[in-house]
Amino acid sequence: MSSRRDFLCRAANGFGGLALAQMLAQAATKNGAHHPAKAKAVIFLFMDGGPSQMDTFDPKPRLRAEHGKKLPFKPPTTVFNISDQIFGSPYEFKQYGQSGATVSELFPHVAQCVDDMAIIRSMVADHSEHTAANYFIHSGSGFQGRPSMGSWVNYGLGSESENLPGFIVLESGLIPPGGLDCFSNGFLPASYQGTIFRKGEHPIADLTPPPAEVDQQRRKLSLLAKLNKGVVERFGDVSEIDATIQNYELAFRMQSAVPELLDLSKESEATKELYGLNDKMTEEFGRECLLARRLVERGVRFVELLTPARPGLDRWDQHSGLEKGHRINAQSTDKPIAGLLKDLKARGMLDQTLVVWGGEFGRTPCAQMPDNGSTTNVGRDHNPFGFTMWMAGGGVKPGIVHGATDDYGYFAVESKVDVHDLHATILHLLGMDHKRLTFRYSGRDMRLTDVHGNVVKELLA
Amino acid sequence: MNCDILFPVAVPIFALLPVLVLAQTPSATGVEFFESRIRPVLAERCYGCHSSKLREPKADLRLDGPAPTVVIPGKPEDSKLLKAISYTDLHLRMPPTGKLPDSAIADFTEWIKMGAPDPRPAATVAAKPLPPGLDIARGRRFWSFQPLAVPAVPKVRNTAWPKGEIDRFVLAALESKSMKPAPPADRRAWLRRVTFDLTGLPPTKAEMDAFLAGEGQESVVDRLLASPHYGERWARHWLDLVRYAETNGHEYDNNKLDAWRYRDYVIRAFNDDLPFDRFVQEHIAGDLLPKPRVSKDNTFLESPIATNFYWFGEVLNSATDSVKSKADTVDNQIDVLAKTFLGLTVACARCHDHKFDPIPTKDYYGLAGIMHSTAMREVVIDSPAHAEIIHKAHGAVPPVVRQPGKAKIQLRAGETLWEDFTDLSKNGWHSSGEAFAQGPRDGVIDSAGTDASGRAANELVGSLTSKKFRMPNHYVHVRLNATKGDKGLVEREPVRLTLVADDYKSVHYMGTGKGQFEWVTYRMTLAYERQCYFEIVDRSRTGNIAVDAIVFSEESTPPPTTEELPAVWNGPTPHPEIPTSTFGMVAWDESSTDVKLHIRGSHQNLGDPVPRHFLQVLSKDEAQPTISGSGRMELANWMTSDARALLARVYVNRLWEHHFGDGLARTADNFGLTGERPANGDLLDALASKFIANGWSTKKLQREIVLSAAYGMSSAESTEAAKSDPRNDLLHHFPVRRLEAEAIRDSMLAVSGSLNPALFGPSTVPHISEYQNGRGKPKSGPLDGDGRRSIYIEVRRNFLTPLFLAFDYPLPISTIGVRNRSTVPSQALMLMNNPFVLQQAAKWADRLSTVPEQQRVPLMYEQAFGRPASAAELKEAAAFLADGGTLAGFAHVLFNSPEFTYVQ
Repeated sequence: MSSRRDFLCRAANGFGGLALAQMLAQAATKNGAHHPAKAKAVIFLFMDGGPSQMDTFDPKPRLRAEHGKKLPFKPPTTVFNISDQIFGSPYEFKQYGQSGATVSELFPHVAQCVDDMAIIRSMVADHSEHTAANYFIHSGSGFQGRPSMGSWVNYGLGSESENLPGFIVLESGLIPPGGLDCFSNGFLPASYQGTIFRKGEHPIADLTPPPAEVDQQRRKLSLLAKLNKGVVERFGDVSEIDATIQNYELAFRMQSAVPELLDLSKESEATKELYGLNDKMTEEFGRECLLARRLVERGVRFVELLTPARPGLDRWDQHSGLEKGHRINAQSTDKPIAGLLKDLKARGMLDQTLVVWGGEFGRTPCAQMPDNGSTTNVGRDHNPFGFTMWMAGGGVKPGIVHGATDDYGYFAVESKVDVHDLHATILHLLGMDHKRLTFRYSGRDMRLTDVHGNVVKELLA
Repeated sequence: MNCDILFPVAVPIFALLPVLVLAQTPSATGVEFFESRIRPVLAERCYGCHSSKLREPKADLRLDGPAPTVVIPGKPEDSKLLKAISYTDLHLRMPPTGKLPDSAIADFTEWIKMGAPDPRPAATVAAKPLPPGLDIARGRRFWSFQPLAVPAVPKVRNTAWPKGEIDRFVLAALESKSMKPAPPADRRAWLRRVTFDLTGLPPTKAEMDAFLAGEGQESVVDRLLASPHYGERWARHWLDLVRYAETNGHEYDNNKLDAWRYRDYVIRAFNDDLPFDRFVQEHIAGDLLPKPRVSKDNTFLESPIATNFYWFGEVLNSATDSVKSKADTVDNQIDVLAKTFLGLTVACARCHDHKFDPIPTKDYYGLAGIMHSTAMREVVIDSPAHAEIIHKAHGAVPPVVRQPGKAKIQLRAGETLWEDFTDLSKNGWHSSGEAFAQGPRDGVIDSAGTDASGRAANELVGSLTSKKFRMPNHYVHVRLNATKGDKGLVEREPVRLTLVADDYKSVHYMGTGKGQFEWVTYRMTLAYERQCYFEIVDRSRTGNIAVDAIVFSEESTPPPTTEELPAVWNGPTPHPEIPTSTFGMVAWDESSTDVKLHIRGSHQNLGDPVPRHFLQVLSKDEAQPTISGSGRMELANWMTSDARALLARVYVNRLWEHHFGDGLARTADNFGLTGERPANGDLLDALASKFIANGWSTKKLQREIVLSAAYGMSSAESTEAAKSDPRNDLLHHFPVRRLEAEAIRDSMLAVSGSLNPALFGPSTVPHISEYQNGRGKPKSGPLDGDGRRSIYIEVRRNFLTPLFLAFDYPLPISTIGVRNRSTVPSQALMLMNNPFVLQQAAKWADRLSTVPEQQRVPLMYEQAFGRPASAAELKEAAAFLADGGTLAGFAHVLFNSPEFTYVQ
């Protein structure tokens, strides 16, 4: 690891210190603060694959009553386009908290937090397949190459962290279909790109030199700083070159900030227990949740958590084996998520941290059966026409259920919230007007919400 | 405005009636029904989006007055309004915030049955000034749509400075603001600049020495323009415009076959200085040109390869709404076509008339019809001469004794034998290459009706494409006999039958290589009721495929067969003397059709058909063009005639941009109203005129540019100039520029001695680090990409190289004429820690091991920066090496120097 002195010796050459101050001022530039913000940061718990609404937060007794019968209407085209046979939820539901929201047995811990949550049962999206739907929920467009929400938020508000990127994605081995472009800066400058943190000691590619090079790096940086004097003389006053030289300072600070971030030794035993770090089932996502809190504490604007990999499971995408698959996914995430909500609340951070839970779409009320016609091992197909997401903290009205799907849970019918509305609402809570957060590209002022989106006032505290 | 009077929700409207002439006065009961049951619902749930009070009512629908387009009196079943509120149509559900109560829907039904009595006056549509998008005549006056003038070369005071016309334009602009050009760059800086500019590589020490020893600038420029690396450099700039990619992206990031042939085509086009108008024509209609160009070795057709550019966009993995997906693909095609060639954001006119430019929506759908009438086909593109050689070789292969394994298929109820290959004309099969039937005259279809690709020689390749049809059933059973392909050729089996549904390759039928016929069955999950065609392809010189029958069915199991005789044949004998063929993904005119205007861009809300036509603002003739086929041939001719002024301006501006860092018009992809005007419009027009006069020669123009005094200025900026023209619009100095991602990597390879100068060919698989995950992750290629130049690293859409992305490599989504120029910490991290950079530093040090120790550091400065090291630098280097630093470490430091990544 290089020492800070190596950088300071360059700073002593006259332009470093000054330029650093400039750079920090630049980092705090706000392109989009339009009104006082409720939330300062977002934690997006992205449930990759599409959790089923009627098995989690949107109880549909009619499905049980008509289990095995045919749907009374022609379902829309879905990806597998295979079934209209009703499939009642295999899980039990109960009411929780003062608000009395009904939650399935899959989420006993999260259910304890319903009084802090706004459950949106009327989400709609535009796409029936993962990749387009993933791009859509992240960037408001079903196509590759648009800036992700986290990029927009950082573009709008700037970063509050001097040492860490403003948009961080925590992954444990599963990248959603559509790949890293879900976290792309698109046409926004590269500094707003999502940075992927893998689990383990070396979360970021190219952050640190290979072990054999660590000692050399100190020497190299020292020499580079000295030689750069000559470059500046040779090139004259070129701001890009100054910025290029300064980047080595920020890079250095990232090198030391990341190990400090990952070091959980100072977290109490109670905290670790709260997040489920002591249980093999929940350890992985618990660590992501705890890191999310630590990232927000360090000024990171937008943290996205990806679904942990589970053997034999393809994310939340249970086209078959739903009963078991959803149970495992829920068990892996329930306690950590509840831990995060409780911890944020206990530390007084929940008010300023917006937590968002959900997938790229929900699932159909019908039974998708294996091609061999077997009736066991049933799953559900993709359904963007009605699904559930929830939000908590950050200025969200607590303890409410918003909107509804029809009796079968297929279509959102009451107070529909489409993905653009969700984006508009998230930006609103962060103090931004989604119609004014624009970037000129290709002759147009582009927006996260394109030409759509309405702030859902009912969700605001 | 009178809107307020016409919109009296709670005011008795009868008072207003006398002033209105109504065709039919509604009955009092009808009016009462309307007032009590209908109007309150409309006011509460509909007016929010659909009223004449709004500036832009949604869907252009105003419900604060009779709405005859959506309410058909007496016919609830035909009334769109009722359809919308009844929520029966998935895509038309109103109000969007939630369904009305059943009682309200019943009221509306009743009301329409009554004849939709409505006492309200017609909702007024305020007359808006004609948006610029509709005023074509006015639009033509805009600078970029004007015909090319040949501006007079201006007079200048300092007559010593200009070397040619370009300089006089530049100097005149500077002098008009009392500014002076910067002094000339030193010879080293100039050589480094022009070498990077034209080849993307640093000058070698030998080249520098020769130039310092007195080689003239003209000789240098001629040498660089003749270098094969010139084409690689400038092809990469072009690839940014056509969103070049070699995979489809989306869920599995499947390969785009033969994309690399297009990349090679572009490199050859630049190296051969193909006239740009021809280059454009080949892009638009290279498959239709009366005299297609053939390759230098006369084996394949060059021209059709260019048409591959239509299809470098993202492709959905399973298009649930294929009509929409197709519309999106066409939109991307129009966007790329219009921006690349004309610098126009035509795609803005998909949903509404262009808000700023004279491009009505109608023009968009005129072009959309052309794209919809164009398909991509996987075909053999051998030159006629080469095809003849193969045909002759085929003829020399002795016939093979065989008894086809024909079986009698017992069709069950509801099953159709869609194809048994007794008559290829029935389903309009089109053959390319030698492997498949040209028709019965070849005797290729044997008596039993089996068509096969490898009757006598596996080396024969080709493709067979059926006509389009609507898929009528849920299952398709194919009886085929195919070798297991050799996967080295392509990702998907090179021997296959593919079902293409709504232009998406949906199912691949492949053999198991058992040497006998077998049934392969697929369920038509998404293909059902879509426009489909079959494609039988044999790209393998070691495999073959025979297809006996294609059966459409509702059964999930194939039909029973009787009298099945095993095929008896000698099998193909090896015929390596048969020459190889070239495959290409090229455009194909078929089922030419006009498309309907999509109201507000929606494929579910269609207007009148729009005849295929081009942009009116650029058309000389007001009349609709006469179109045959798709209209691409006419479009290609229009582009290089009617639209030539803009075509030349846009292209010349791009060339200028890559030489000077910014275009004369900085918004290189937007020559419309919202784009920036050129800082020196006369210069741009002069260049464009000259370009056309010189036969659209890219190299001639570039030669003149880089030999100008303007190009030869130093990058030192005077304080006064910086004050009066901080953006350097008038070019008072040459701007310092960072190298592009590819040039940075290529320079490392060049100085480390690892550059593999090979040209052309299939791409090198990119190196994939453990940090790059996701579906479709390829097996990693070598860290150094085999030393190939960056243009040969495969562009895998979902796995772009992080080193490139950090340095603003463009995402292949649409035309990117101007790359971002960001300076971010990840660049520092990459240059410090990326294994490729470290590897190249080590290789560079190794390369120097034969050089005497004292000469190493000085040589490294020459190689990396094209200049000798200063005394101070030599001292620092010595101190570093004496204090435990290695030569590789020193090399690494030089890579990290801004002098390595920036050019003066």
